[in-house]
Amino acid sequence: MVLAVLPFGLEALREAAGDTLFYYALSPALKILGLVFLAILPVITYLVLAERKILGFLQVRVGPNRVGPWGLLQPIADVMKLLVKEDTIPSRAVRWAFVLAPCLVVAPALVIFSVVPVGPPSSTPGGFSGFVTDIDTGVLFVIAVATIGVYGLILGGWSSNNKFSLMGGLRAAAQMISYEVPQGLALVGPLMLAGTMSMVGIVEAQRGARVWYVFPQLVSFFIYMVAGVAETNRNPFDLPEAESELVAGFHTEYSGMRFALFFLGEYANMIAVSAVATTLFLGGWLRPFPSVAWLSPLDVVPGAIWFALKVFVFLFVYIWFRGTFPRYRFDQLMALGWKWLLPLALANIFVTALIKLWLAR
Amino acid sequence: MSGWKRFLDRFLLLDLFAGLAITGRALFRKKETVQYPEERLAPAHRFRGMFRLDEERCIKCNLCAIDCPIDIIYIDWHQELNEATGKKEKKLDRFDIDLQRCMFCGLCETGCPTEPKSIWLTTKTYELATYDRWQHLYADKEQLEGWRGRPAYTDEEIAK
Amino acid sequence: MSPPNGSGEPVDRLVDPLFCGEEMELSFGPQHPATHGVLRLNLRIEGERIVGCYPIIGYLHRGTEKLFELHPFFQNVPHTDRMDYVAAATNNLAYVGAVEKLIGLSVPPRARYIRTILAELQRISSHLVWLATHAIDIGAMTPFFYCFRERERVLDLFEQYCGARLTLNCMRPGGLPFDLPAGWGDACRRFCEDYPAKIAEYEGLLTENRIWKRRTVGVGVLSPEAAVDLGVTGPMLRASGVGFDLRKARPYEAYGEVEFAVPVTQNGDTYDRYLVRMAEMRESTKIVLQCLDLLPATEGGPIMAKRPRVLKGPKGEVYHGIEGPKGEIGFYIVGDGTPNPYRCHVRPPSFMNLQALPDLANGHLVADLVALIGSTDIVLGEVDR
Repeated sequence: MVLAVLPFGLEALREAAGDTLFYYALSPALKILGLVFLAILPVITYLVLAERKILGFLQVRVGPNRVGPWGLLQPIADVMKLLVKEDTIPSRAVRWAFVLAPCLVVAPALVIFSVVPVGPPSSTPGGFSGFVTDIDTGVLFVIAVATIGVYGLILGGWSSNNKFSLMGGLRAAAQMISYEVPQGLALVGPLMLAGTMSMVGIVEAQRGARVWYVFPQLVSFFIYMVAGVAETNRNPFDLPEAESELVAGFHTEYSGMRFALFFLGEYANMIAVSAVATTLFLGGWLRPFPSVAWLSPLDVVPGAIWFALKVFVFLFVYIWFRGTFPRYRFDQLMALGWKWLLPLALANIFVTALIKLWLAR
Repeated sequence: MSGWKRFLDRFLLLDLFAGLAITGRALFRKKETVQYPEERLAPAHRFRGMFRLDEERCIKCNLCAIDCPIDIIYIDWHQELNEATGKKEKKLDRFDIDLQRCMFCGLCETGCPTEPKSIWLTTKTYELATYDRWQHLYADKEQLEGWRGRPAYTDEEIAK
Repeated sequence: MSPPNGSGEPVDRLVDPLFCGEEMELSFGPQHPATHGVLRLNLRIEGERIVGCYPIIGYLHRGTEKLFELHPFFQNVPHTDRMDYVAAATNNLAYVGAVEKLIGLSVPPRARYIRTILAELQRISSHLVWLATHAIDIGAMTPFFYCFRERERVLDLFEQYCGARLTLNCMRPGGLPFDLPAGWGDACRRFCEDYPAKIAEYEGLLTENRIWKRRTVGVGVLSPEAAVDLGVTGPMLRASGVGFDLRKARPYEAYGEVEFAVPVTQNGDTYDRYLVRMAEMRESTKIVLQCLDLLPATEGGPIMAKRPRVLKGPKGEVYHGIEGPKGEIGFYIVGDGTPNPYRCHVRPPSFMNLQALPDLANGHLVADLVALIGSTDIVLGEVDR
C-alpha cells in the first residue's frame, strides 16, 4: 500500500519543491534514508544472527534458538540489551573523540551504499532506478569513503586513555591502511576491462561483454576478497579484535550502544565490501548468463534479488572463513599485504593491460 | 611430493580449501546440541550423584564416616531397647552430610559393609542447584532418606 | 629489583626492527582467557617483543600434599584427581602405583589391562582438551567443538565405568574398585574404531593449513639439551628429539605387553609438539584396542590384589613415575608404619614444563606467547597442587 501511495506522495513533493531541488537533493536524500533504515540496518542486525547460526552449524551445534523460532528475535533482544547498558566514558578520556569515533566507523560504511547499484537504471526518466545516484567516479568514491573509516579506529583507540586500546587501535589502523593499497589496485582490473569508473557503467559493460568480470579477472577477484576480509578486520585477519590476544583492541573501553555502533560499522563494512565485489566482479544485478537467450525466463526475477543473492553468498563465505581458519599474527598479516598482495595486484594490472593492448591490435 | 605438486598446492591454496571442505561438510551433520532442560541426557547406571540413605539397613558402623576423605559425615547413635524384640539395638540420631564440601567420590559407599548398601550415590541426580541456600547446605537424615532427586526417579530406577 | 630475565641475554638492539626504545612491564594476568588457568606471567616487552618472562604461580594452591598426610592411602585417591583435573586417571594411576610399590602389592592381570585402557583413554581426552584450547587460542574456533564432541564419548565411557566424568576416583591401591560393566568393552571398541577418522578431520583442518604452520613452525624451539636440563618430559621432550617415554623405558601396568610406537620429531617447535600429540592420540587408540583384545582371556579374574583391610605403609620411601599425557607424573611417598603416608610429594609434569616457558618466550612476539602457552600444555591444578 505504501508502494502504491509513494508515487503520489513523491509527485506532490515534486510539485511543492520544484524540479531541481527534488531531483538533486530531496530524492537522493529520501532514497538513502530509505535504503539505510529499511534495507541495510535490518540486514546488518540479522547478519549478526546469521553469523551466530552459521558458525553454530559449522561447529555441529545450533546457534541461538531460544528467543523466537530459530532465534529470529535474538537481534532484537541484543539491541535492547545494548541500549539499556550503562553508558560509560573513562574519566580521563577525550570526550569528543570518544563519542565521535563510532560514528566515524559507521557513517562511511553506510555512505558507500549510495553509489552501489542494486538494480538497473530505470527505463523511464524520473522513474525508480536501482541506485541512489550514479557518479562517473563511483569506484574512486567508494575507495575514498572507505578510507575515512580508519579515522574512527584511530580516534577510538586514542581517546580511550588506555595504553592497550591505543596499541590495538594503531594496529587495526595500520592493517586497514596497508590493505587499502592492494584493494584499490585490485579494483583497477575490472576498471580497465570496463573502461569506466561508474558503478552502473561497469555492470553494463559486463552485460555487454557477456561475462562476469570474475572470470577474466580471477586474480583480481581473489586479491579483492582477501584485502576485503583484512579491511573489515575479520578472521583470519582479526588480530586487532581477538579476545585471546593481549589487548581487546580499540573498543575495550566502549560499552552499550557505542560498542554496538562499532560492531554495526564492522558488519556494514562487510556488506559494503560484498556489495562492491558483487558489482565489479559478479555482474551486479545481472542474472547468471545474461546473454544466453534460453535462460531469459529468469528475467522475471528482479535484479535486486540477484544482487541480494550474490551479496549473501559473499557474506556466507565471510562467515565460513571465520569458522575455519586460525588467525595470522600481525607481522605476518602485514607481510602478506605488502609482500604478496601488492606485487600480485601490480602484476595483474600489467598483464591485463598487455592483453588488452594485444587484443585491440 | 614432487616440486610441481607442492608449488601448485601452495599457489592454489589447496590446504585452505581442504579446511573449508571439512567445515562445510559439518554444516550438514546432525547437531550435537541437547536442548536442556527440555531434553536431558540420562546419566549412566553407576553415576555418582546425590545420596540416599536407608536407615533400616544401616548398622551404624561408622565406616562411611571414617572412609570419607574430607570427614563430612556426622553420625550419632545411641543404644535403645527395642520393645518388640527385647533386644538392645542402635538407633540413629543424626546422619548429616555437609553438602558444601561433598565431592561425591563414593568412598562412603565403597566402605559400607551391608549388602545391599545402606548409603548409595546412584540416584542419578546432578541437579542440586536451589534458589534457597540454607535448606540445602546440609543433608540430614530425613532428607537423605527421602531424596528422590529432580526429576523424581522411581525407587526401581535408583535402587542398586 | 626487576624480576629475572628469562635467559639473561640482552636482545640485540641494533638489529631488532620492532625495538621501540622503551621497555614495558606487563602482567599477563591471572585472569586471562589464554592462560589455561590462573597463571600469571610478568612480561617485559619492548614494542611487541618479549625480552623477559617471569611466571608467577600459586593462585591455585590448595595444600594437596598436606592433605595426603591426613588420611589413609586409599582415601587419598580423590585428592589426586584434582591436581591435573583434565587427566584424572593417570594421576590416580601414578599414586596407586606408588602405594603398591611401597607396600608391595601385585596387581592382578585383569586390573592391569583395565588400568591401561583407562589411562590411554584419559590420554586421548587430555590431548583433545589440549588441541581444542590450543586451536582456539590461535584463532581456529571449530576444532574446539569437534574435539569436545569426541571427548564427550570418552567421558561417557568413564561415566559408565566409575560413575564420574572428570574427577574419576577410578583406581584403588591394589587394583580397581569394580569390574567393567556389561557392554563397556564393545562401546570402547566402537569409539576406538571411529576415532582415527576424527583425528584425520582435525588434521585436515590444521596440519597442512598454511596459517597454522606460519603461527607454529619455528615458534618456541626447545633444544634437546635444554629440554633435558630443565627436566621437561612428555610430548615436549619428544618433540625436541629425545625419545624418552616411561611406557617404554620402564614399562608399568600392561605396557610391556602391547605394541605401540613412540612418536619423536626433531625440530622442537610448536608445530612439532602438535604433531607429536596428534600421533600419540593414534597410538593410544592402538593400545586400547590391543588391551581390549587381551581382556577376554582374564574374564572373571580378580581385580583387586590380595591385601589387608587396612593398608599400613611400611617404613620406607618410594618414587614411582608414569607417563601421563603431559609428561612424567611421579609420586614420592614416605611411609612410617601407619595407615597414613608420612609425606607424599608430587612431581607434576606441568610445573617442570612451565620452567621452559621463559626460555621459549624470549625473543618472540606477544602473539606467539599465546601459542607457546598452549603448546606447553599446562594445567594449573597440577602446577600449583
